[in-house]
Amino acid sequence: MSTGLLSGDARVEAAPRFPRKRKGISGRSIAILVFLSICAAFFCVPLYVIVTTSFKTMEQIREGAIFSLPSPITFEAWVNAWDHACSGIRCEGLKVGFWNSVAILFPSLMLSLTLSSITGYALALWKVRWAGTFLFILFICAFVPFQIIMIPLIILSSGLKVYGTIWGIAIIHAVLSMPFLTLVFRNYYKGIPQEIMSAAMMDSGSFWRVFGEIIVPMSGNIFIVVLILQVTSIWNDFLLGLTFGGLGTQPMSVVLANVVITTTGEAAYNENMAAALLTAIPPLVIYFILGKFFVQGITAGAIKG
Amino acid sequence: MHMKSLATMAAALLLSAAPLAATAEELIVYHGWSSKAEVAALNILQAALNEKGHTWKDLAIPHNSGVNVSIVNMVTGGDPPNAFVTSDPHIFRDLAGLGLERDLTDYYKEIGAADNFFPIVQELSTVDGKMVKVPLFLHIDGMVYWNMDVAKKAGVDPTAWKSVDDMIADFPKVKAAGFVPAAVGGQAFQVGYLFHAMVAALAGPDIYDRIYSETPDPTAFDTPEVRKAIEVVRAFSNEATPESENRPWNETTNTVIAGQALFHIMGDWMKGEWLAAGKVPGVDFGCEVIPGALAVPVTSDAMGILGGQPAEKDKAELDLVAAFVDPIVSAKANQQKGSTSPRADAPTEFRDACNQVAMDAMNKPNGAVKNPFNVITGDWNNGIWTAMYNFWSDKNQTTDDAVAALKDAYDLTFN
Repeated sequence: MSTGLLSGDARVEAAPRFPRKRKGISGRSIAILVFLSICAAFFCVPLYVIVTTSFKTMEQIREGAIFSLPSPITFEAWVNAWDHACSGIRCEGLKVGFWNSVAILFPSLMLSLTLSSITGYALALWKVRWAGTFLFILFICAFVPFQIIMIPLIILSSGLKVYGTIWGIAIIHAVLSMPFLTLVFRNYYKGIPQEIMSAAMMDSGSFWRVFGEIIVPMSGNIFIVVLILQVTSIWNDFLLGLTFGGLGTQPMSVVLANVVITTTGEAAYNENMAAALLTAIPPLVIYFILGKFFVQGITAGAIKG
Repeated sequence: MHMKSLATMAAALLLSAAPLAATAEELIVYHGWSSKAEVAALNILQAALNEKGHTWKDLAIPHNSGVNVSIVNMVTGGDPPNAFVTSDPHIFRDLAGLGLERDLTDYYKEIGAADNFFPIVQELSTVDGKMVKVPLFLHIDGMVYWNMDVAKKAGVDPTAWKSVDDMIADFPKVKAAGFVPAAVGGQAFQVGYLFHAMVAALAGPDIYDRIYSETPDPTAFDTPEVRKAIEVVRAFSNEATPESENRPWNETTNTVIAGQALFHIMGDWMKGEWLAAGKVPGVDFGCEVIPGALAVPVTSDAMGILGGQPAEKDKAELDLVAAFVDPIVSAKANQQKGSTSPRADAPTEFRDACNQVAMDAMNKPNGAVKNPFNVITGDWNNGIWTAMYNFWSDKNQTTDDAVAALKDAYDLTFN
């Protein structure tokens, strides 16, 4: 199909205008390679420092040579970061925050995915009164910075009796991500052929049955895209967890900050680096597992426009 | 008869048990301390609270700047902690406006604590005439910690310095021996702290209080003493090595610990880094206030207590206050944190050589001033920091430029 498109659109005489060199390294490709290497170094050098520092002893770190290789190599900082680092008076390491983050992640994901997929589906495939206006308002909301509405949200969540609980954080995550995610779902569902909807309407006509039996099975890719986006943003979130977390529900990012940031206390850099790496692992794992689907999902959306 | 005595016994039991049961409360203690020395100190405070029959529910937030923001959030959410670390008087005023302030003036008199705090601590703990803070840990903002080994190798004796000029006069000698004389970190906060420590040291309490005040007097910047402080900041900036750019204070101190630099002027919380590196005060490192200092700026890490509570909670909160300011508990906790007890009558056996220097400085009449964060607004503080940090970074700026920039900052903040 794609070749048909190409031969139809592109003219044959276009080819000689960009004569392709056979092989060999040209000046341009060297420049590109150098540029790409610099870009890669830009990300790899800090990573190198983080990883090597996490395996060093504090004695070696005090010498101040940040690019040196660890000698002796020690895993103590990793064990300490996971098991013994202090967040306040509790010195049980990052694992406390890890489990809190997991506990926050699932309800937040469920709420935000459900809420925005249903809203997107309704706006795309059903005739909703004021749909355009609603979409416009949602779109505007996507640009409101959280900090501006933080205090009102605290008052609201306190009124709903969820302030300082995991459900409080989950609800806020779902609400704040709704504008963007709804737009994503809506655009995806707009691409579903009208014939499918018409057939579905004839068969059942029920809003929920069409959604559950026809739409959801068709939207695996987009669910994975949104899942990855949400897992990353929920896992990396600091401000919401700090603000709405309260007692005993602080996510890993807040515990990490407690471990790493110090006002007048001494700093254990090896432990801090290990802690930062530990916190970064879960979203990376999700990317590695679901990365293929992520690309598929994005391109699927792109073709359908 | 039998029944009656049983009933009286039961009643007596109930009566005696009731107050006991009622006093055991869970108190939310909110703070920004998570480093090893800090947690060791908190553990001592927690044990003291438990001894009073109450339990400690911990809530830690990263960094003391975050503490101030989150306390406002928690009050808004209707879920404020019982005890919270903050020194900012504005927070206490806000709480007073909400009816959540707890005035401790009378209670301190009752438990005999009030007169035993250092005078500067009494001042620091008072907001609008009421003692509302629970002073926990005292730090001096600008102390000189030097590496004794480096001093020996360079052939200088920091204890012989009688003035800042003596100190600076030794710089070439130290450099000739291959060391950095003064370790500095090029960050607004570190430059700001060096500046206010130098203003206190060289200009004394009167001029210091004219600058670091709710209603500052910009003419203070024209005084020869403040100009001298600015010149000293320049002398230090000239010692800045390229890698000092944006270097956190911890790392800066570590260059002294590692024997690359002679000394570091920073708050005496840097003791924690020395202790973490296994060094002993008075043996491996020496400590002095800034030579010839007229006054030292004092930071009092303090807590506030939530007011407007039911009687039993309030009683428990007062128990917490009594536990925390107890001279022995306070001395032990401060020993762990590396700070100095706010109580002048704290037992001496928990002090090290550096605590002694700090206490001597605080006992000097009129020799201590308040850390800016205890007095001025964040805006004015940032104004001073920005002006001084620009001066630090731009070697072409003269003392006149710095004075002008400070006055501009004043105009921006207050006019």
